[in-house]
Amino acid sequence: MAVIDPYLFLPLAVVFAGAALAPAAKVVNREVSSVAMGWVLSLFPLAAFVLILDRLPGLAQGMAYTWSYPWFPGGRFSLYMDSLGAFFGLLVTLIGFLVVIYSGYYFGRDRGSWRFFAYILGFMGAMLGLVIAGDLITLFLFWEGTSILSFLLVAYHVSDPKARQGAFKALLITGGGGIALLLGALFIIHVTGDAGFTAILGSGDLLRQSQWYPVILGLVALGAFTKSAQFPFHIWLPDAMTAPTPASAYLHSATMVKAGIYLMARLNPVLGLTEAWFWLLTLAGTATMLTGAILALKRTDLKAVLAYSTICQLGILMMMIGQDMAISFKALVIGILAHALYKSALFLVAGMVDHEAGTRDLRRLGGLGRSMPLTFGVAGVAALSMAGLPPMFGFLAKETLLATAIHPSLPVYAAWGFTLASVTAGALMLAVSGRLVWDTFMGRPKDPGITAHDPPLGMVLAPALPALLSLFLGQFPGMKEEAVLLAGAAGAAFGSEVSVSLALWHGLNAPLVLSMVAVAGGVVIFIRRCQVMGLLDRLEFSRALDHGLDKGFDWTLLAVDRMAHRAAAVQQGRLRTYLIVILTGALGLVVVFNGFPPPLDISGLSGIAMTTATELALLRLVALFLVCGSAFACIALPGDFSAILAFGASGLGVAVLMVLEPATDVALVQIVVDVLLVMILVLALTRMPREKLAALRHLATRTSQSSRTRDALVAGAFGLVVMFMSLSALLSRPRTSELSPFFEAMTKPATGSSSIVGTILTDFRGLDTLFEIAVFGIAGVGIYTLIRFASAKHKDGAADTPGIPERMPLTSLGVGGSRKTPLLRVLSHIMLPLTLVMGICDILYGHDQTGDGFTAGVIISIGIGFQYMVFGYSETKSRMPWLKPSGLVGWGLVLALASGVGGLFVSGHYFSHADFGKLWGIPLPKGVHLSSSMLFEVAICLSVVGSVSLMLNTLGRPNR
Amino acid sequence: MEILTAFAIGLTFAAGIFQILQRNVIRSAIGLMLLTNAISLYLLSTGAWVGEKAAYVGTAAGHPVDPLPQALILTAIVISLGTTSFALAMLFIVSKRYNTCDADGLKGLSR
Repeated sequence: MAVIDPYLFLPLAVVFAGAALAPAAKVVNREVSSVAMGWVLSLFPLAAFVLILDRLPGLAQGMAYTWSYPWFPGGRFSLYMDSLGAFFGLLVTLIGFLVVIYSGYYFGRDRGSWRFFAYILGFMGAMLGLVIAGDLITLFLFWEGTSILSFLLVAYHVSDPKARQGAFKALLITGGGGIALLLGALFIIHVTGDAGFTAILGSGDLLRQSQWYPVILGLVALGAFTKSAQFPFHIWLPDAMTAPTPASAYLHSATMVKAGIYLMARLNPVLGLTEAWFWLLTLAGTATMLTGAILALKRTDLKAVLAYSTICQLGILMMMIGQDMAISFKALVIGILAHALYKSALFLVAGMVDHEAGTRDLRRLGGLGRSMPLTFGVAGVAALSMAGLPPMFGFLAKETLLATAIHPSLPVYAAWGFTLASVTAGALMLAVSGRLVWDTFMGRPKDPGITAHDPPLGMVLAPALPALLSLFLGQFPGMKEEAVLLAGAAGAAFGSEVSVSLALWHGLNAPLVLSMVAVAGGVVIFIRRCQVMGLLDRLEFSRALDHGLDKGFDWTLLAVDRMAHRAAAVQQGRLRTYLIVILTGALGLVVVFNGFPPPLDISGLSGIAMTTATELALLRLVALFLVCGSAFACIALPGDFSAILAFGASGLGVAVLMVLEPATDVALVQIVVDVLLVMILVLALTRMPREKLAALRHLATRTSQSSRTRDALVAGAFGLVVMFMSLSALLSRPRTSELSPFFEAMTKPATGSSSIVGTILTDFRGLDTLFEIAVFGIAGVGIYTLIRFASAKHKDGAADTPGIPERMPLTSLGVGGSRKTPLLRVLSHIMLPLTLVMGICDILYGHDQTGDGFTAGVIISIGIGFQYMVFGYSETKSRMPWLKPSGLVGWGLVLALASGVGGLFVSGHYFSHADFGKLWGIPLPKGVHLSSSMLFEVAICLSVVGSVSLMLNTLGRPNR
Repeated sequence: MEILTAFAIGLTFAAGIFQILQRNVIRSAIGLMLLTNAISLYLLSTGAWVGEKAAYVGTAAGHPVDPLPQALILTAIVISLGTTSFALAMLFIVSKRYNTCDADGLKGLSR
């Protein structure tokens, strides 16, 4: 029964608020000590714990709380808390509370510890969110959050390369699993049609019978196995022990590694109960359990021993989920609880030992029990629970595990293997826990240099509480609420009722006998541990288990790296090759998607052909020939200067075609722009290093035939595609237009102008033209900045290279540095005033006739450019001191913006047409309109002149 | 006439591509501008109808040509003038920095 709980987000919000507070506290008070910070910040997880506790009565009645918030279209951020989620949530916040207090003491005087607090509280929030997520997408979000924050925590000591490597390994493996999980989640959503758990949990049969079931199972299991360190993905967990110990205690015992367990438990009712599920989880779990148990015995680093014993326990838990009996889920929840309690205590103790004694090496530790009695006591209790000895809670966990192992519903051979593995693991774990306590606290001190004493009481409190809980939970079987919560959690994971009682003694039964066998075996192994460890070292199998997988992982990374190098070798840095690849790829796409030759409807071919008069058609033919002929001449001519001129001729041919259209405005612009482009090209040519150009000309003749053929083939193919494209566009174009009739009809009434094209530019699409002019202005300023500043900064000589002396006339190019003739000088004197007059006329009468502000600007610019060409840079500069290009660009743009304001006053719309001449009754010559569009034209003209002058100025500036 | 126009556009385009692929960077710049010409022609021929006179209102008899492509071409020309000038400046800077006008000589890019 799901109930909407409007405050379900509160526990989550509280924890995240704590994470945000950690850095803030440091900002407010730089001197705040880690201990104080730990105590204050621990209140946040405690509050979350209480908030979850508050919901237990409802959960006990079988309710589930939900909350959701629309996040993006079609997606919700939703939470869902049933007994299983609450069980995990309580563990996360309780252990989190203790770990935060402990961290305060652990970091002591470390001033940077706020970073740790922020990470660990953030991690806590992510972990809490994961276990109470209401849908798969939200779950994935938090899942990735735990991966990333655990990366930050493991790599907390960033200057330590081992920490970085460990963090990287953990991130690679768990992150990779995260991607698999996302895919699996998407498949689940695809099958069920809903991401929410309430819907998914109801569609178990749908999922199990779906054709995607094997894929879903594989992907989800991959995600869970990597996260929960199942064989063979367990290799990241020992390396992640480089994390500060509180983080190891938290992430790698109680929380993050349980995320995979949680996920599998959560999905067991819908994905489980199949053969595949059983074998996958049982085998992976058994392998993990044995690997962890064997390697735990081999290690001598306290934390590494704990890490491997954690792996062993995770294997047991995974195995439990694989079964389909109520008792195995009882074992699951009891196992999770028992493990979280004793393992976090042991990790914290390991941290204290490390902190006090300065080492975690079991070969150097020993006899600490006398100097650290409190620590010893806590460790002893926790280790007893880990060993599974009565009267600890761990005993119950082991009993239920063994009860599952001998359960008659298993196939016989599986039951035998299962039982054997469980007993072996139990024995090994007992030996390991014995070793942990004995080698650290008992016996004689092995290293006289180690002096240690008990840490402050607050620090001991953190591991003491879970240790005591593992002691007392088993003593009071009457604790109803705990049992009910555990039963609820187990039931949610199993999919139906599970009864859980916390009584330790069930009388003399088969599990107890097995347990005795395990204990006896464990004691023997413990006493003979030196021999056993020596034996393990000699065994090829255990050596392979120890290092083989890590080597495999490293080898894989290396192989990926090598492949990346191979792939990068393709990038050889030759632009022309890139271009050819891009062009060929584009061609390929066109051919693949359109087929070749493209479908053409040539029925419309004849109809429009001869609408123009025959003579004009002839002229058009000539112009077409001019366009392509010049284009090819441009290729064929060896000199760069002649090539530029040929390009100019081609552009003029285009202008003739435009006149024939008839499109007079465009033709005019095309002509002036063509001239200007030739001018700019020539100026740019003069600035190129001349000896290099000469060298290149020789090179061009020597360019290998094959590369020219290749270029020609690519170019030809592209031309062919464009030809077909134009032809199909020409033939299939619609014969009616939505917009053009509107423009035709509205031009005169709206603006009083008769030039439709000009009106479209300045009025109908005025804003567009404004942007266009801004782009043009920016291009000019960009060129100026690029050449004057960027190149000067890099000292690459573009700004000043010794070479051509400053007074050198720029016409020298092509004519070889000869002096200008008097005729040319006189002509250029006349040019500028003439272009100015032309430009002004263009603006004045452009409203009704051919021409506009842009044309005017370009015409004037040509006049200025002519000065640069003839007189050279410095003489032009001294002749026209009034020319301030940057100012012109700026004022032009400002005026353009201002010209729209007129319309605001007249018709209430910015950039709408306003005819001031008519408005104020100013007598003007015929054909001249003093209107907002005229102001706009003036503005365009100014900024074009400014921008082009900037280009000419920088490109025409001789090298010094 | 359509076939011829399309043919000319294709040829000009091919010439432009070929020029871009040349090693001489000045030729590459010219190629870019040839492409602009080809595209202007292409836009010009996309008018919805062929008119009898230029796009002016009420001057002479006959139906004016479709003004929309012309407005688009004007914008295209302006922008391409700006960008090709900028491209030229870039080529100029690059050729100075690597002290070559050879597109294959720009070795610094492979590092």
